[in-house]
Amino acid sequence: MGFIESIRLAFSSLSANKMRSLLTMLGIIIGISAVITITTIGNSIQQTLKNTFDQINMNYFYVMLNSKPYDENCGMTEDEYYDTMYISEEDMFTNDMFNSLLEKYPNQYKIAMSEQYASGETVNSKNEYIKTNITGATDGYLEQGKIEIIDGRNITQRDNTEKKNTAVVSDIFVKQYFGDGENPIGKQITFSINNAETQDFTIVGVYEYSEAKMGKFPAGSKDIDKVTPVFIPLDTAQKLKGVLNPTYDYAVILWNTDYSSAQAEENLRSFFEEQYEQNKYWTVYVENEQSMLSMINSVLNVITIAISVIAAISLIVGGVGVMNIMLVSIIERTKEIGIRKALGAQNSSIRMQFVVEAVIICLIGGVIGIVTGILNGVLIGKIVSYLVNNIYTDYMDIIVISIQPSVTAIIISVIFSMLTGIFFGYYPANKASKMNPIDALRYD
Amino acid sequence: MSKTVISMKNIIKRYYIGQPNELQILNGISLDVHEGEFVSIVGASGSGKSTLMNIIGALDRPTEGTYFLNGTDISTLNDKELSRIRNSEIGFVFQTFNLIPRTNALKNVELPMLYAGKSKRERSERAMQLLELVGMKERYTHQPNELSGGQKQRVAIARAMANNPSILLADEPTGALDTKTGRLVMDIFHKLHKEDGKTIVLITHSPELAQETERIVTISDGSVISDTGVKDNGLY
Repeated sequence: MGFIESIRLAFSSLSANKMRSLLTMLGIIIGISAVITITTIGNSIQQTLKNTFDQINMNYFYVMLNSKPYDENCGMTEDEYYDTMYISEEDMFTNDMFNSLLEKYPNQYKIAMSEQYASGETVNSKNEYIKTNITGATDGYLEQGKIEIIDGRNITQRDNTEKKNTAVVSDIFVKQYFGDGENPIGKQITFSINNAETQDFTIVGVYEYSEAKMGKFPAGSKDIDKVTPVFIPLDTAQKLKGVLNPTYDYAVILWNTDYSSAQAEENLRSFFEEQYEQNKYWTVYVENEQSMLSMINSVLNVITIAISVIAAISLIVGGVGVMNIMLVSIIERTKEIGIRKALGAQNSSIRMQFVVEAVIICLIGGVIGIVTGILNGVLIGKIVSYLVNNIYTDYMDIIVISIQPSVTAIIISVIFSMLTGIFFGYYPANKASKMNPIDALRYD
Repeated sequence: MSKTVISMKNIIKRYYIGQPNELQILNGISLDVHEGEFVSIVGASGSGKSTLMNIIGALDRPTEGTYFLNGTDISTLNDKELSRIRNSEIGFVFQTFNLIPRTNALKNVELPMLYAGKSKRERSERAMQLLELVGMKERYTHQPNELSGGQKQRVAIARAMANNPSILLADEPTGALDTKTGRLVMDIFHKLHKEDGKTIVLITHSPELAQETERIVTISDGSVISDTGVKDNGLY
């Protein structure tokens, strides 16, 4: 008897006992749907994290000051040491440090720093007032935020060191100021700074404003009222503020991904450690944001797998249920088995018939489980999105929710439910196939 | 002399071999059945006729003795080979019909052909022919629980004929039927015998039924006590 015939036979026998088949499947359905629900949630969290972090360039290091441990040879008692420990101007990061880093490792790093400068206001040819936020930024800052330059160029390190009055404005600002069709590059615009003085800036580039990354405008706001940032070189902003030698207590530094993350991290650490070698209290701590993300992901993976394994235990319970029902079924159908044997069914045909039946129960159960699992996962995801969008609105701009069932988990579930059928169906099927036809025929 | 279909020599069947309650059911039965014979094996309950039927039907192997079915020594075959013999050489007709429940008449008749590996088209064509032969063509979609006893037995006969076996082995085929439908079933056997020249072995405890056949073999206490040989009883 062929395989196709066995499948046909199994279906007719299962449909003859619909209720029993369904109850048997229930164990498998619950097991598989639990696994799929959990993996869908795990996968969605991972995707959401990925999408959220994808909005910014993750290839950066966060460099902070870190206290040195007490050293007995420093000429102070431990109490004195800790009492006198504080961050002074001299301890902080300076432009000189950044410049020598960039010189030592050309093309490897970019500084990604910014500082709010002032609110800037200007007037267009229709005498409409346009409000902006003037922000000092380095070349790496726009890159890290994945802010796309759609016309002209980004702020450069040279603009920065020469403290030029260059500006990168938003596409929205271009529309507000120039209307359509006029090329803004090279145009000089006078801004009133905090309503106190005026400054002229030359537009060198236009970036595309992204509400997801840079914040949504209040609902229903008119185009002319939209406030967008105008980026000027960081050192220009500092100079305008009256700070000639700016210092920073942290640094965000992008690295060129042509170099390995480990190498980039090591170079950066040794560079700054050298800078702080003579410092009594402070050294640096370098945090690799990329590796943080992969660490979060791997922790999440472990949790998902662990919970899935727990959920998979219910599959084993389901499998035992299938075996139980198959055993009952072969006793109930002893006579049928006897008849089939008398008509010339070989042991292998009988075995195949019952194994196929068990596999089909498990497969159908598995498919139903996968569907309910995905529905569960999506439902939970929707609830979370709803909460984020309506209750925790602060995070709404940052989090990009993505609900995605895990394809791997689905494939594994299908294979696993088939194996459950084969494993738990084989023993009853083998028992059925070994029945003595004379006894089986006589059974009532 | 026509071909010998069944050739049994000194068949002995024992149960519980080597145990204190060892039981010998058949005490050396020798029996030859030729092609085209309609033989009845008669005996009271406990005479050993069921055991003999199981051996003839290749459901069981004799403890001693040889049994040739169409020239094949059945007593030496393994389970798989016995299945093949049952499938192609034997057509069983049981007292309680033994149709597969929840499976329609056509599918029941197709079953032996399914195990023989015949194609779907071949199976359903042959099954419909056989159902027509036993007068059940119109009810091919009916399930066993939608058929009367006589109808079930006719489907069972069609099923027994599916692979055109060497012998039809009928175990009390009218035992569960009333006289009228029993008559109908017996008529089908006579028809198959006369028109197709089928070799039929009928096992019964009823001497009246046995009288209808060409040859009566009587068994008692596991031995053949009389064998009429082929006769023309003039009934058909």
